[in-house]
Amino acid sequence: MNAAVQAQPEDRALVRIRGLTTVLNGKTVFDKLDLDIPRGKVTAIMGPSGTGKTTLLKHITGQMRGDAGEVWVDGLNVTGLSRQALFDLRERIGYLFQNSALLTDFDVFENVAFPLRQHTKLPEVLIRNIVLTKLQAVGLRGAASLMPAELSGGMARRVALARAIVFDPMLILYDEPFVGLDPIALNQVLKLIRTLNETLGITSVLVAHELEAIKQVADRVYLIANGKVVAQGDPKTIAHDGSSWTRQFFGGEADGPVPFQYPAGDYAQALGFKQGAA
Amino acid sequence: MSAQLQRGENVLIGSLAQIGRCGLFLLRILASIPRSLRHARETVRQLWFVGAMSLTIIMTCGLFVGMVLSLQLYHVLSIFGGTSATGSVVALSVYRELGPVVTALLFAGRAGTSITAEIGLMRATDQIAAMEMMAVDPIAYVAVPRFLAGLIAMPLLSCVFCGLSIFGGHLVAVDWLGVDNGTFWSNMTANVDVWDDVVNGVIWKSLVFGAVIALIAVFQGYTTPPTSEGVAYATTRTVVASSIAILALDFVLTAFLM
Repeated sequence: MNAAVQAQPEDRALVRIRGLTTVLNGKTVFDKLDLDIPRGKVTAIMGPSGTGKTTLLKHITGQMRGDAGEVWVDGLNVTGLSRQALFDLRERIGYLFQNSALLTDFDVFENVAFPLRQHTKLPEVLIRNIVLTKLQAVGLRGAASLMPAELSGGMARRVALARAIVFDPMLILYDEPFVGLDPIALNQVLKLIRTLNETLGITSVLVAHELEAIKQVADRVYLIANGKVVAQGDPKTIAHDGSSWTRQFFGGEADGPVPFQYPAGDYAQALGFKQGAA
Repeated sequence: MSAQLQRGENVLIGSLAQIGRCGLFLLRILASIPRSLRHARETVRQLWFVGAMSLTIIMTCGLFVGMVLSLQLYHVLSIFGGTSATGSVVALSVYRELGPVVTALLFAGRAGTSITAEIGLMRATDQIAAMEMMAVDPIAYVAVPRFLAGLIAMPLLSCVFCGLSIFGGHLVAVDWLGVDNGTFWSNMTANVDVWDDVVNGVIWKSLVFGAVIALIAVFQGYTTPPTSEGVAYATTRTVVASSIAILALDFVLTAFLM
């Protein structure tokens, strides 16, 4: 193991990002971003659409590499890991995709069992029990034999959640976990995230827009905009911290430091009006 | 004129770069074969999809190709009073050229497109990314089983095609046009060489065609942009590139194997 990827087990932050700079198609997504995800806590990442929240999760899991900076996960520098070392790390990370990403050839049961079958030699009866336990936790044990095409968006998301937690990983990354959930399912998923955190000490990172849900489940929230962390703190008080960023974002205002309009030329000119015409 | 030259140059460089990427992708597939041995069930499943599910079209086309070939040859040979050679000429045409080439073209259209579309959609719906996140190598789990399935299925399908073609030729020549049954078979067995015509003509060519079609199909699916349009273009490219590759390689292989 080279010096750059030596473990630092005493680190209190499970994920440590330093000076991350990412430029995609000429647009600076992250500009020397610094961010810590504390071990054993639930951390929410919030920010305007297109600000790079999902991209940040991809950096943490090594799906994307930045143009500069470092991403440390459990003492390992993700940016310097070999493919095999990255796969070893990912076995300890659960990831809930924005669009669920269920394997369409397999039914619900096999989707949840997939990581177990690939990485363990557990007897079938044990795999069955683990899978049914996880499906029970998300309320879909009865849907075990359904195919992904037969599920609603919310159900698919819950199956994906069951698959993400099937290994009881050290870190779970949730990309928009509350989208498409009815109030009952939402409440159960919130309880599940909290239970996983409290009983197993699993560190969770949530990318979401629902402040009320985040208030119930998260210990800390980061607000990202313009490639940097612009606000951070307790989810119950962050909306009232007095900064122009939080006021605009949580107040849903069009005017503020985050432009509502995507950069564009002159509006009147685009509509064909001449300057100075009445 | 210079703009056209520039465009032509760009197309040429783009094509060469694509062939280079495809070659590197083949190396990744070959390197992942040992790791994919634990996914043997997936390879068998793919063999069913690309091989067994292609049987209907291969058998039907093989039968009709043999029938029409026999009909045409009988009329041409009857001019020279050589209708007794119908069986051997049908067999030689089928073994040396039509069997492997037509099977490969049909295989590219039936199985190649489905492989490309399936992998392309897996990429578009983040299934490939999900595998990566579950620490499952998608090359070993998705690409290699389909590549191996294509490699194994093509020679088998070619043999089925050739068998049905000769059966079709027999139906027309013997049962319809009245060529003597004994003459049909004895001429065929006398003129067909198992090594030159069957092994070199059918088996080797089919193995190469199978590898090329499966590689192109998997590569196109794996590298397609994750959009509906991207998948549609990739599917089309699979058929076009495979067809050109089959016919060009057929010439090269024939020149080497004859």
